[in-house]
Amino acid sequence: MAGVKELRLRIKSVGNIKQITRAMEMVSTTKLRRFQDRAIASRPYAEEITALVANLARVLGDQVDELPLFRKGEGSKTALLLVTSDRGLCGAYNSNILATLEKWLKSEGKGADDVDFFLYGRKGYQYLSKTGRKIERFFVDPALEAIDYRGAANTARALTEVFLSGEYEKVEILFTAFQSMAKYVPTRVQLLPISPDSLGTDSEEAGSGGDVILEPDAASIFEAVVPRYVETRVYNALLEALTSEYASRRVSMKNATDAATDMQGELKQKYNRLRQESITKELLDIVGGVEALR
Amino acid sequence: MSGLTLRVITPDRIALDEQTDAVHLPGLDGSIGILPRHAHMVAALDAGELMYRTGGREQTLFVAGGFAEVREGTVRVVSQAGELPADIDEERARAAEKRARERMALTSKGDPIDLIRAQAALRRALMRLSVKTRNS
Repeated sequence: MAGVKELRLRIKSVGNIKQITRAMEMVSTTKLRRFQDRAIASRPYAEEITALVANLARVLGDQVDELPLFRKGEGSKTALLLVTSDRGLCGAYNSNILATLEKWLKSEGKGADDVDFFLYGRKGYQYLSKTGRKIERFFVDPALEAIDYRGAANTARALTEVFLSGEYEKVEILFTAFQSMAKYVPTRVQLLPISPDSLGTDSEEAGSGGDVILEPDAASIFEAVVPRYVETRVYNALLEALTSEYASRRVSMKNATDAATDMQGELKQKYNRLRQESITKELLDIVGGVEALR
Repeated sequence: MSGLTLRVITPDRIALDEQTDAVHLPGLDGSIGILPRHAHMVAALDAGELMYRTGGREQTLFVAGGFAEVREGTVRVVSQAGELPADIDEERARAAEKRARERMALTSKGDPIDLIRAQAALRRALMRLSVKTRNS
């Protein structure tokens, strides 16, 4: 039986933990909102670039298939950009994405030599170095949380160069897509080669016929716009992953705070009962003593 | 329908969304003038000065390359950066200029791609400075 003093200490420490988790919950809420706003702000740009690529691809027709970024790479390996978080305490966020990774590796029968990893997030790095996978590059500058468009563009450029080196068949991204405040799904998408499906080229758009003035010409514009398209895909994936991370962290911190509140209640009840018991016992002693003296 | 809407879209925000009378874009092969009722056009842009006129008042904006689509009375500029003279950080641009020059000196005998990149960075820095100094 725990004594009154021990219980008092315990109540206090649960209260301290609760304070911390509540603070973390609030921090996550603000950060979540910030990343979400940025994701929304980046959408018009991404949409314009995607529309440009799709329209120009239609103008260029079969020529597109000949471009290096649209052709399957010559190698047989896969380069995978894996986005996890730098820090823990975010619920099942990292274990979900790593489980998805393992499932995919298993179902495709990928050994240690078939996939080279490019990483964002320390958790993924720790996990992969333990399992003996080949880590080609671990992006730390700028840190995942401080990512801006320029940082994402540099990463995209690095991945494009890797793809063009001919060592790989394709470049894919595994990240956590943000679907709603309560739903974030580990998702794998192909970054390179660019598949026409991802552009939605087969849906004919009204008013974008062939009588467009192109300055200087379709091929040059296309050549300039395609790298931008790859950049927006990477940027978007990173922002979504960050949004998911903070949504996940907020939920798990909220659960922790609630659990602490429950625990505090239970402990308090136990404490009060114990205290009452000892008071009653003392009273009985006194009354008993007085009776005996009479 | 007369008038021309100019919208400058960057990855971080919509930098500009305004009614104007005329727009000059920094095309790859020189400046491109756009007036209302312009034909449907898609153009690649160089890093440079975008000029637009509203009621006789001319204003300038720095764009870091990108693309422009003119369609149905709207000019949509899609660029990595679109900055009004007031938003340009002069010190940062000067630092970028210096950095680019150093990089060019270092890589002039090395990788040609690095050199091209350094040159592009230098151009952007110089254009930023020119937009800033001439309009403030």
